[in-house]
Amino acid sequence: MHKEVLRHFDQAYLAIAALIIFLCCFVAYSFWTFRKNSGHIYQAISQLPLEESTLMKGDRHERS
Amino acid sequence: MKSIDQSERGKLEIFSYDDKIVRMFTIATIVWGAVAMLLGVTIAFQMANWKMNFGLQWITFGRLRPLHTNAAIFAFCGNAIFAGIYYSHQRLLKARLFNDTLSKIHFWGWQLIIVSAALTLPFGLTTGKEYAELEWPIDIAIAVIWVVFAVNFFGTLIRRRERHIYVAIWFYIATIITVAVLHIVNSLEIPVTLFKSYSIYAGAQDALVQWWYGHNAVAFFLTTPFLGLMYYFVPKAANRPVYSYRLSIIHFWSLVFIYIWAGPHHLLYTALPEWVQTLGMVFSVALWAPSWGGMINGLMTLRGVWDRVRTDPVLKFMAISLTFYGMATIEGPLMAIKSVNAIAHYTDWVPGHVHSGTIGWNYMIIAGMLYFLVPKLWNREIYSKAIATLQFWLATIGLVLYVVSMWVAGITQSLMWSAIDVNGKLVYPNFIETVVKIVPMYWVRAVGGTFVLISFILMMYNLFMTMKLGRTDDTEEYSAYALDDSSLEENATKHRKLEGLPIIFAILSLVAILIGSAIEIIPSIMATKWVKKIDVVKPYSPLELLGRDLYIREGCYVCHSQEIRPLGHEVLRYGKTSEAGEFIYDYPFQWGSKRTGPDLARVGGKYPNMWHYRHMINPRDISPQSIMPNYKWLVEQKIGYGSLIKKMTAMKTLGVPYSDEEINQGLIKAQAQAKEITNDLISSGVPAQVEDKELVALIAYLQRLGKDYGSSGQ
Repeated sequence: MHKEVLRHFDQAYLAIAALIIFLCCFVAYSFWTFRKNSGHIYQAISQLPLEESTLMKGDRHERS
Repeated sequence: MKSIDQSERGKLEIFSYDDKIVRMFTIATIVWGAVAMLLGVTIAFQMANWKMNFGLQWITFGRLRPLHTNAAIFAFCGNAIFAGIYYSHQRLLKARLFNDTLSKIHFWGWQLIIVSAALTLPFGLTTGKEYAELEWPIDIAIAVIWVVFAVNFFGTLIRRRERHIYVAIWFYIATIITVAVLHIVNSLEIPVTLFKSYSIYAGAQDALVQWWYGHNAVAFFLTTPFLGLMYYFVPKAANRPVYSYRLSIIHFWSLVFIYIWAGPHHLLYTALPEWVQTLGMVFSVALWAPSWGGMINGLMTLRGVWDRVRTDPVLKFMAISLTFYGMATIEGPLMAIKSVNAIAHYTDWVPGHVHSGTIGWNYMIIAGMLYFLVPKLWNREIYSKAIATLQFWLATIGLVLYVVSMWVAGITQSLMWSAIDVNGKLVYPNFIETVVKIVPMYWVRAVGGTFVLISFILMMYNLFMTMKLGRTDDTEEYSAYALDDSSLEENATKHRKLEGLPIIFAILSLVAILIGSAIEIIPSIMATKWVKKIDVVKPYSPLELLGRDLYIREGCYVCHSQEIRPLGHEVLRYGKTSEAGEFIYDYPFQWGSKRTGPDLARVGGKYPNMWHYRHMINPRDISPQSIMPNYKWLVEQKIGYGSLIKKMTAMKTLGVPYSDEEINQGLIKAQAQAKEITNDLISSGVPAQVEDKELVALIAYLQRLGKDYGSSGQ
């Protein structure tokens, strides 16, 4: 089995490339998401499902 | 749409939402959900008692199981996705759907596809690729309707009145892009007749593409759209914002990035290269983090409203769905660890896990969404909260019965398969011994499934009564400011701008999934490099080719694998470990994913023709406790020689080395081999008139399986 593994393990660079690409992206978007002074932006965005548009005409009893 | 005001914020516009289309998809969800679950319960009872196949070819387990999975995934979940997306998309963007006609084409086109599936699969018209069984005309229709959906979706995005694109829509975008890529790449096939095609991929290459598709169909059809719906409907129902928007961003990118890499975990211990298997396993385990990040984000959104979870059907179903999502996403990566997979793969543990996701996560969140949508769309309180509560408990108890019985069945059977005594021999050499032991669990599963079906019928009643007593109102109008320069933020950062550019965002999502896909597809493209050619492996004879199509038609791959793993007990039971080079003429591959019956990779030559003849007509003649259905029609229906030349020509186009002479002589050779098999059967006492019957072709195929390499000295 070990020999079998070694026989096929000739494209290991793909696995390593995968890991590096993912780690770089992960660090980048994590850093970006938690950047300074961004809290108020996300707080505002998170309200979007609750805001929506204003009912002008019709008989729904609530703001959608 | 009209503008009524011009202020410093820009034009205030009045518009309406297209809720009619949401109502149509909602009703379709309810109807198809019942069909999918009825089919599920039917096949569950067929597993418990073979007589439930009723001796009818159109409703055997092998044909109904693909219908059940297609109905559950594409009809039930598909319609629910469209209903939820069309409702939330309009509201999050403060815009009516791009085009009403496209919406209608989308709806009716999708229903037509579902009906086509229902009409073709029971007739055995199938590609034989799990979760992608539909034949090429339907595949094309799916692609067309998906494009219609995409145009409608992105058109709405372009016409939106909200600058920011909320995270739910990110998940929708990833879904639309990825499903299109998956469907097109996996469905590449050569048509032979109107309802017959061959995959352009073969063997290990096909396996890799197929499970890249299969795994990511779960990811991007059953997970990402529902996470998007979760990010909209949970805050909406709880009337509070999502717990952490930052976490939702990290959740999105991590999930989209990692999920796509994990496909090979469906092919551990197969003839795939080890490094691909290891990569699939590692990224599967890595999936724990984003999956649980999303689950925690959803559940924590309910903080402060837990008292309402007890009484509000919407929140109740949302909370249980997130809980099952958490359990299923712990279990999935666990099963992808190779040592665990050695136990779990090919057993009932897998359908147990799958239903923990599809019933626990998908059905429950759809139920929550429907209890939110129907009162809103029909302007009435839900008909009965008591019925909803009863439904909740029936579904939960039914699901627990289902999952636990499949855990027990799967682990029991796997341990029996692998039991070896002190002399190095199998403790349970007869496969049927391991089946008989778990049949009681099949009954428990069927009862659990029935509970789930009843719970769904209760919901149907509850929702249809709500609709009946309510009324629709399409006169509602809303106002929002137009999206012009006045809505641009001052000093907006680059990422803020990116978040407002849906096309660029969609391209980045595409890049993220393509990077992961490339890691899987590259080995497929390079298959000729790592798949060692085995000289003794030859193409199928014309009759074997026809027999193979019958194997596919009957859905034999649903219960039998054709892939022997490099595990001691498998070699003892079935013979030499499978090699990738054995399958280079298998268009499509037939490795299967479940062993309700034994592996057939080396069944060729193991038994005489007469054994197969008797076994297919009545398996209990050979194995008294077998749960396999009878296939009597195989000795009544004639072999379809008419399409043989076309089939061989298609195979040649795909790369099978049939010479022109072999193709021209195909019919004569097929009939000669049929005659040979028939003579052998006649000598064992079978009536002579079977020579042109389908069973002879199927026997030819079965007798060939694994014979080239399995019995060779290589």
